[in-house]
Amino acid sequence: MRDALIVVATVFVVAWFLPPYALGLLALIGIYALVTLGLNLFMGYAGQVSLGQAAFVALGAYTTATLGLRAHLTAWLGLVAGAAVAAGAAYAVSFVALRLRETYLALATLAFGIIVGVALNELDYFGGSSGLKDIPGLTFGAWHFDVRAYAIASWTVLALGLWFAGNLVRSGYGRALIAISSGELGAATLGVDPERMKREAFVLSAAYAGIAGGLYACYFSYIDSTSFGFLLSVNFVLMSVLGGLRSLWGAVVGAGLVVLLGQALQYVVPLVLPSARGDVQSFFFGAILIAMLILLPQGIAGRFRTLGRA
Amino acid sequence: MIGEIWQYVLAGVAVGAIYALVAAGFVLVYQVRGLINFAQGEFAMVGAMTVATLGAANVPLVAAAALAVLVSALVGGFSYVLAIRPARNANSVTLIFITLGLSVAIRGAALYVWGTNPQSVPAFSSGTAVVIFGGVLSPQTPWVLAADALVFGGLYLFLLHTRLGTALRAAVANPPVARSFGIPLDAFGFWSFVAAAAIGGLGGVVIAPITTASYDMGLSLGLGGFVAAVLGGLDSLPGALAGGFLLGILEKVSGGLISTGWEQGAGFILLILVLVARPQGLFGRAVRRA
Repeated sequence: MRDALIVVATVFVVAWFLPPYALGLLALIGIYALVTLGLNLFMGYAGQVSLGQAAFVALGAYTTATLGLRAHLTAWLGLVAGAAVAAGAAYAVSFVALRLRETYLALATLAFGIIVGVALNELDYFGGSSGLKDIPGLTFGAWHFDVRAYAIASWTVLALGLWFAGNLVRSGYGRALIAISSGELGAATLGVDPERMKREAFVLSAAYAGIAGGLYACYFSYIDSTSFGFLLSVNFVLMSVLGGLRSLWGAVVGAGLVVLLGQALQYVVPLVLPSARGDVQSFFFGAILIAMLILLPQGIAGRFRTLGRA
Repeated sequence: MIGEIWQYVLAGVAVGAIYALVAAGFVLVYQVRGLINFAQGEFAMVGAMTVATLGAANVPLVAAAALAVLVSALVGGFSYVLAIRPARNANSVTLIFITLGLSVAIRGAALYVWGTNPQSVPAFSSGTAVVIFGGVLSPQTPWVLAADALVFGGLYLFLLHTRLGTALRAAVANPPVARSFGIPLDAFGFWSFVAAAAIGGLGGVVIAPITTASYDMGLSLGLGGFVAAVLGGLDSLPGALAGGFLLGILEKVSGGLISTGWEQGAGFILLILVLVARPQGLFGRAVRRA
């Protein structure tokens, strides 16, 4: 609770001194950190794997956008509905996907992500390949959120998410999740129901991703299916691994580093390699992901925790 | 209507033959190292881009193709040494993440070397299109099928009729016992990666005239090859061949009848059905219950 309040207070103060460009990055980091936080609960604590997390972000974003555009519902309700739709989809998928383990679970979630992407791209109701534009954003009375308000809003939601997840993992429930990751059979003999708990962690991670998707749609006011492809799912895995899979603050560290590093590389790469065109910096993300997994598999936040204990 | 579907089937044969080649790489690496290599499609991209570059520099086709396969094999070898061997004790999910990183890194490097523009490659033979029962087969398709025959025939002869192939099968069947007989498991891991990369590279070389070569072609080739491998069964090379053709034909038929956007979707829907109903794939042996 205290940590969450400190985060909100800090962002609230800092946000008044930052230029719009930095505020935009801050908002994006908050949104991505929220997705990564959910992913850490499912992958880091429950020991599962998802290569389709971007699909839940897409479902949240499209739900919020469609309700705003077609039902003229306030975006605040749209956010809640987006989380609900993403969670519902995860609940339905879990009966198929969570019967599978490790490699096969990775394949099933990957397949789910691609099918959602194709469906959104092909259904004209959701704008087809040209996407949805002029999505109504968040409002407070008659006042429309600006980039500063979005930065504060996304970090407030993130702080709530951190607070909830923190209580979860420090409870018996969290210890049961960790028990599942070290062996389902062993967990079951201790009275834990692995199937139910894996499902709940999966649904929770999808709800986090769904809210993040809704915020994304409101903030950018434009979405199309290519914004939520397989490569975004891989990016979430990178954020998760970089920060530390089994840590909550790691999600914030990972999302922050990936977004800031992306910006820095976009600036530095053309200076060092003048002939480089396009998204060359992705090379460094791939290399960083490999190096982290080999050298520091517990992630940056995980590393600091170990040092603090020693 | 029937004629139209027949035409889609023939179009699917060429794509399916490539998926089968990429799938053969997946199966080889999965069998020997127990990991799904998400960078497999990037090896095909490296082969296609190299042959396009050499072709533009007027290198004769045979030499360009051989060099392209060699370059892919080198990329595969370096990938194993730099990324896979240092993590040999990691669990299967970590290894998946590592190969994902590998594919992102190779794609980024290719973007730097070759840029974003797709490069066209002329067909290997300038003959007219072959007509079978009223359907047209592109003149490049026989070349693709020949590459399949070469790779799958070669693997069959190697695995079943050579001493080294027998040792490899022993290493797959029971690693600890194989090691006690002096079979070098790590060297087999390395060479399986090199061979998978060379096979993928050959796939890229023969598909380049059909699809053109671009730095981002590896993702869809890799995903297709990997769906084909799981469909056929990750432990079955004949399954990879059958899975490749099945997927290629399914994609083109559903793409033609519904819309091209659903090509990829149809393959992944089939993948989910197979994972649920028969996770070991159509040709694989039942997996052990964990």
